[in-house]
Amino acid sequence: MYDKEVLIEVKDLCKSYGEHMVLDHITTQIHKGEVIAIVGPSGCGKSTFLRSLNLLEHPDSGAIIFEGTDITDKKVNVNRVREKIGMVFQQFNLFPNMTVKENIMLAPVKLKVMSKVEASAKADELLTRVGLLEKADAYPTNLSGGQKQRIAIARTMAMNPDVILFDEPTSALDPEMVGEVLEIMKELAKEGMTMVVVTHEMGFAREVATRVIFIDEKNIREDSVPEEFFENPKNQRLKEFLSKVR
Amino acid sequence: MYERRAELDSAKREMTHFLRTQKVKRKYFKYMLFFSVLGLIIFFPTGCGKAQSDETLQSDSITCVNDLTGKNIGVQIGTIGDTYASDYEGDEAGTRITRFNKGADAVQALKQNKIDCVIIDEQPAKSFINKNKELVILEEEFAIEDYAICISKENTELKNKINKALNELKEDGTLADIINNYIGDDTKGKTPYVSPEDTTRENGTLTMATNVAFPPYEYYENGVATGIDVDLSQAVADKLGMELVISDIEFDSIIIAVQTGKADIGVAGMTVTEDRLKNIDFTDSYTTSKQVIIVNSGTSAAKMSFKDRLYQSFIEDARWKYIPRGLKNTIMITLFAGMIGIILGFLLAVIRVAHDRNGEGGVVLNIFNTFARIYLTVFRGTPVMVQLLIMYYIVFAAMKVDPVIAAVLAFGLNSAAYVAEAVRAGIISIEIGQFEAGRSLGFTYGQTMWHIIMPQAIKNSLPAMCNEFISLLKESSIVGYIGLVDLTKAGDIIRSNTYEAMIPLCSVALVYLVIVMVMTAGVSRLERRLKKDVR
Repeated sequence: MYDKEVLIEVKDLCKSYGEHMVLDHITTQIHKGEVIAIVGPSGCGKSTFLRSLNLLEHPDSGAIIFEGTDITDKKVNVNRVREKIGMVFQQFNLFPNMTVKENIMLAPVKLKVMSKVEASAKADELLTRVGLLEKADAYPTNLSGGQKQRIAIARTMAMNPDVILFDEPTSALDPEMVGEVLEIMKELAKEGMTMVVVTHEMGFAREVATRVIFIDEKNIREDSVPEEFFENPKNQRLKEFLSKVR
Repeated sequence: MYERRAELDSAKREMTHFLRTQKVKRKYFKYMLFFSVLGLIIFFPTGCGKAQSDETLQSDSITCVNDLTGKNIGVQIGTIGDTYASDYEGDEAGTRITRFNKGADAVQALKQNKIDCVIIDEQPAKSFINKNKELVILEEEFAIEDYAICISKENTELKNKINKALNELKEDGTLADIINNYIGDDTKGKTPYVSPEDTTRENGTLTMATNVAFPPYEYYENGVATGIDVDLSQAVADKLGMELVISDIEFDSIIIAVQTGKADIGVAGMTVTEDRLKNIDFTDSYTTSKQVIIVNSGTSAAKMSFKDRLYQSFIEDARWKYIPRGLKNTIMITLFAGMIGIILGFLLAVIRVAHDRNGEGGVVLNIFNTFARIYLTVFRGTPVMVQLLIMYYIVFAAMKVDPVIAAVLAFGLNSAAYVAEAVRAGIISIEIGQFEAGRSLGFTYGQTMWHIIMPQAIKNSLPAMCNEFISLLKESSIVGYIGLVDLTKAGDIIRSNTYEAMIPLCSVALVYLVIVMVMTAGVSRLERRLKKDVR
């Protein structure tokens, strides 16, 4: 199943905060069209790993090769790279002083990816897709958590990214709103978007992911297809972990 | 059970009614506040005047020089009177000296029995008692002294020219005419000085530092500085073919102003003394004077009605004109200093935040940050008054610069330090997630700041910035120290001309209050407009 084109290649990625080592020589590949779920106990470094992929966390050593270029190289314009790597946050991080539509249009227009007219059309199209067209002129404070996260997904989609990183996208939501967000993510996956999702939603990992990664003790401990991952885990820590979350 | 329900319902009704009336009350609170302030300003003087006239007079009054010991002597700071009085200071009898910035202030204090006597030059004393019938001059006098023009020790060329001009003015009788025009009941107003028709102004300006509250040598009349010293300087300037510029500053700043080149000459009824000669040079004497003692005779003059006092403060001699003139300077300084404060303050805030938030900035950012921190420490750690004087007398020592520019710069630089901290607080109050969202979309650090962080940070720092500009407006009231006529100084001029404190001071306070209220209302509106997202 790894015959597809490699989108991101991670080589010997290391990261520590002061004396405390978080990631210890992680190596893996992310292929086009994959939906990767990353699970693990809290504090295991899975968020740090995800945030390293678009350099929100700067690795201490190792390489991250995105579409053929090592983006940890100082000479690479990381801003151009980030335009192609979308990100969705646990806390949504919508811009509170802008309307929903302004939130979506800001980056494409200011970064001159699209004209205002194009961006507006794109925003309408995305809002329709996430089912919130009627909220176009609302401000984020007037939205529910689930609606905010759907808008955040639309905002990152507006830049036409090649991959989207999700950092615990449903963890800050009330239980009844988790479903609507996962639904949008499922649709994205179906359309072939490459996604890397740090999550606690085992159901989503099992149903939607094409690959599940277990990170513990600073490194990847298990990396397999969902059926294998959940039915036949090999790592002892993963077994304990699964027994706890199930 | 049923009863309790009814009770609760009635309590609820009462509560709603209470809240409703409170809302209405709040609405009118603003107006109530305004009218109560207005009322205070109108009625306060009446009450105050009464209290003053009832005051019992001091029994152990001063009748000769020997009586000075153990008393509270008022003088104008830096004058000969100050020097004489200082001999008594700290003696066994407990003599106290109260030093005032203006002779007129000392006289006002004497009128209110805050001090026991005033030692001052003879002619100003005469002019003061003319306007204040309860004051008298004691017959005993100090030594005769010479008045001369002070000039920098380095400027012997100008000194020689002025001496030559003075000599000519003495010989052709012009000097005597000028003095007689102001002194002597028979000659007063008969020989006003007029510049000769063929006078040219091709030799530049002659800046004269003086303290315009010392009649008849210098005082304001119809908004124009006039008096013996002013006419004399004009006559000298005419002889030298120069344009006369008058700089009205505190008396004890005159010598410094001349030393530092802020003014070419100091003409302020200034006596030649050994101490002064150490720092400054003097021209030949142009007149003589002596020190006298003024005391409060206790025969209280007829009380003026409030209407008369209003008339005297504003209508007489068109004194109201000082207020708009001063207001213009106050507003100009606040406005331009505010602009410098905003621009520089933002820069400083951005540097500080950039340094604290991402360590990847490197050496250049480190240097900028260190500079910013020193800047904030220095400008917030020293009084703005001292900063203003440093700006005027030290930074611009060698340059002849408009004091307005010095004031705008001093207040602008000071304000920047406070704006910087307000803006920095605004920026760090924005969640880091906002920043990460911007960066993850592909914005650079600067773009994220500009498009995402700043619009939110400014909104958050508006109340603190509004505070800063209110302080700035009020602090600008010290610019009188570098010779500017602002709103406060305008009130001071009226006060020293009329010996009426209440009306000019309260009027000036009211004008400040109105400006602050307008500013606050403006900022509230702006805040409401920016708050649309949390409607």
